[in-house]
Amino acid sequence: MYEIIEGFIEAGRLIITLDPDVMTIAARSVIVSFVATIAATLISVPLGAAINFGTFPGRKGLINLIQTLYSLPTVIVGLLIFLLISRVGPFGFMRLLFTPTAMIIAQTVLVLPIMTGLTISALSGVDPVIRDTLHSLGATRLQFLINVMKEARFAILATVAVGFGRAISEVGAAILVGGNIMASSFMRSTRVLTTAISLETSMGNIPKSIALGIILLTIALGVNLAITMVQHR
Amino acid sequence: MLRRTLFTVAAVMVAFMLICGCIGTTGPETEKQQLRIATTTSLDDTRLLNHLSTIFEEQYNAEVLVVSAGTGIALEYGQRGDVDVLMVHDRAREDVFLADGYGINRRVFAYNYFVLVGPESDPAGVKGMKPEEAFATIREKGMAGESGVAFISRGDASGTHAKEKAIWKGAGFDYATEIQGSGDWYLEAGKGMGETLTMSNEKQAYVLSDIGTYLAYKGDLDLVTLVDEGDILLNVYCAMQINPAKYPDISSEIAKDWVNFMITDEVQEEIASFGVAQYGQPLFYAAQNDWEKIGVPQTEVKDPIP
Amino acid sequence: MIDLKSVSKRFDDTVVLRRVTARVERGEIFAVIGPSGSGKSTLLRLINLLDTPEGGEIRIGGSSIHTKGDQRLRIRRMMGMVFQKPAAFSATVYENVAVGLRFRGVSEGTIREKVGDALDVIGLAGYEERKARTLSGGEMQRVALARAMVTEPEVLLMDEPTANLDPVSVGMIEELVLQINRDLGTTIMISTHDMYQGQRLAHRIGVLMDGVFAQVGTPREVFTLPTSREVARFIGIENIIEGVVVAAGSGIAVIDIGGTSIRAVSPFGVGEEVCLCIRSEDLRILRPSGEGDLHGKNSLPGTVLSIAPRGPFSRVTVDCGFVLTSILSWKTVDSLGIEEGEQVVVSFVPEAVHAVRAARG
Repeated sequence: MYEIIEGFIEAGRLIITLDPDVMTIAARSVIVSFVATIAATLISVPLGAAINFGTFPGRKGLINLIQTLYSLPTVIVGLLIFLLISRVGPFGFMRLLFTPTAMIIAQTVLVLPIMTGLTISALSGVDPVIRDTLHSLGATRLQFLINVMKEARFAILATVAVGFGRAISEVGAAILVGGNIMASSFMRSTRVLTTAISLETSMGNIPKSIALGIILLTIALGVNLAITMVQHR
Repeated sequence: MLRRTLFTVAAVMVAFMLICGCIGTTGPETEKQQLRIATTTSLDDTRLLNHLSTIFEEQYNAEVLVVSAGTGIALEYGQRGDVDVLMVHDRAREDVFLADGYGINRRVFAYNYFVLVGPESDPAGVKGMKPEEAFATIREKGMAGESGVAFISRGDASGTHAKEKAIWKGAGFDYATEIQGSGDWYLEAGKGMGETLTMSNEKQAYVLSDIGTYLAYKGDLDLVTLVDEGDILLNVYCAMQINPAKYPDISSEIAKDWVNFMITDEVQEEIASFGVAQYGQPLFYAAQNDWEKIGVPQTEVKDPIP
Repeated sequence: MIDLKSVSKRFDDTVVLRRVTARVERGEIFAVIGPSGSGKSTLLRLINLLDTPEGGEIRIGGSSIHTKGDQRLRIRRMMGMVFQKPAAFSATVYENVAVGLRFRGVSEGTIREKVGDALDVIGLAGYEERKARTLSGGEMQRVALARAMVTEPEVLLMDEPTANLDPVSVGMIEELVLQINRDLGTTIMISTHDMYQGQRLAHRIGVLMDGVFAQVGTPREVFTLPTSREVARFIGIENIIEGVVVAAGSGIAVIDIGGTSIRAVSPFGVGEEVCLCIRSEDLRILRPSGEGDLHGKNSLPGTVLSIAPRGPFSRVTVDCGFVLTSILSWKTVDSLGIEEGEQVVVSFVPEAVHAVRAARG
């Protein structure tokens, strides 16, 4: 019990004094996950729209597959990306292993299924009469899609929140493709909050772990709060 | 409108990050050279590499990126050409690696010993025994179900794990059939050295550790050294380049520099004095003058790579 | 303006529209009435290109609507539709009404002007910034109407637009429909389950039953001269009796129903099997007075089966060998002093009897 309290106190100190180690790790977490979420949104929203409003054979099967991928373990994604970008892999020439870019890619791939699936859900939840009304008013395909998405914006924003939450809290893939490197330059390091917590805990530096954990939770909370505010605008 | 601006801003950020990331990974444009090292947790957890890489980075205007995992993974990374330098401590596997042509220019830069640590109460009564004897005793008492007798293995194909297996073999046991899964007394952690020590502390069990990591963690542990003498406990660390013949675009120049760096007098000094102030005894011994003692050729300890 | 030729549509195994053929003239209000499930909504959706028919052809302004791409979009933009459920986009009233104009790339200044005018017309001036979702059903339906009309379509389709509204809102919408038709000359096709609404609004009515238009005509024609037994029943004629013409001459036919004779104004000849349709309002009830045929009127003696209230009226059913139902005001019933089981005489003029050919089978 004492250890926990002591940990919290030390954590407070690290945060208030803006301990550089902790801050760079936190900043990196946010940037990596933010970029990954944006990338995934830019892919999953149009993709979800295409699947939801499309008519093609195997559509139901595809939707089923996407929903199954919700529970894709993060380590598997990590392993997959690792094999692809390792020097002996097909994309080895890009030398992406152990870089923040690799982590962004892994996180994007990771949240893609759930964001696509939730987008499909959101769009299919739009009242059919709204859809008829849009068609009836003479919308082109593009105008139709944009307006349906406007109608579903609440749910789509929730999707983004879910995506970000999942991206920033995953560990397995981040370690595999990132290597949890603490280099002297910001851009080269691949240590993020989750991998750092894992490492610090394993090394017995409990206060630092707690500090990182508090920051992680605060960030996740903050982002969700921001999205909620936008939703209720 | 707000959403549209947000999206554009975000898209710009994405592009920016991706470009930066890509530029970052393609060497030539940046001023600093990058050196990727795969090493074992027992080396990294002691922070020796942190200490040395800071010095190296200044001297050579480079950036050292250290990925630490078990020896097994480190070798895998080396084999795949994902790193430029390997720093491990399993002579047998290193030999195979070199023979297969994946590694070149091995240099030995430090050594220390493994120790068998355990609870102060020493329920199996192994204090002062020879390593093989101690292991056998622990097994005997553990299989018999004596309370408090447990052994935690690294279980992760690391150098330490390899050493542990060697001791079991030396004690006359077949690892796969007589040790692994032979009872609740033998647990496999599947983790790095630091974590395994923490776990052993939790369970007050026996564990084989390199002295470096043990000392680094000692302050947080209620485990004491019980067996520290025996030739088999020798732990030799080496650094070697990944063969540029296999992977032409490896940063072999800076890799060579690093390996040579490790055996310079200054660094050997650093190694020998590392941790003394903090822990009261050195975590590593400089390999420089002890090649006979540790059984490696003089060239590996003295001669810089041309 | 709108030409329907043998339009058919089915959903899975159910045939909803069989062979719908009709013509809606430019500038008229055409009401489609029929029992629920008869395909009224489906028909309007087909016209609005929200669905495609299996067979048949639909033309608007002479051109077939079954095209693709730009042509299809052009035709669709000539029409507007208001649906049964008031569907509000989650935005302001202004944005809702402006949607169609935005799609057509109209400049912001023009949009502001047109939306303002439209809101004036529907009586919601000043509502621009209100969130559309906060409006009542009636208000939203008016907005939907404005939304459809602001793009000045040549054809307006309305699918049971007042079905879910309170009477006051119904009245407002009906007023607006008439106004739009009068001021802008828009061709309007409106489906409704309230046939009296059809009567109030439409120039012509089409009765959609069993997948086809059973009758198309002016409200008067449809309501007083149904062309079939089914239409008669649908428009609320309660007395439908089958019989055979036994005598005919100078426009009057005598029909025999199981022994009783009825005189009707009808062109049918002897031997024809007919259905007689008599509106309940046209049946008089008298006390038996022993008098014979009164001036050519039909007088049928019978026993009162029941007297049931209906609003300020009473429904009196009498057994004259077949059942006849009459609608009388309470006052009349009281002053007659009749009760169940009593003998009365049901009296009606031949003009009140409308004969249609009896359906086969």
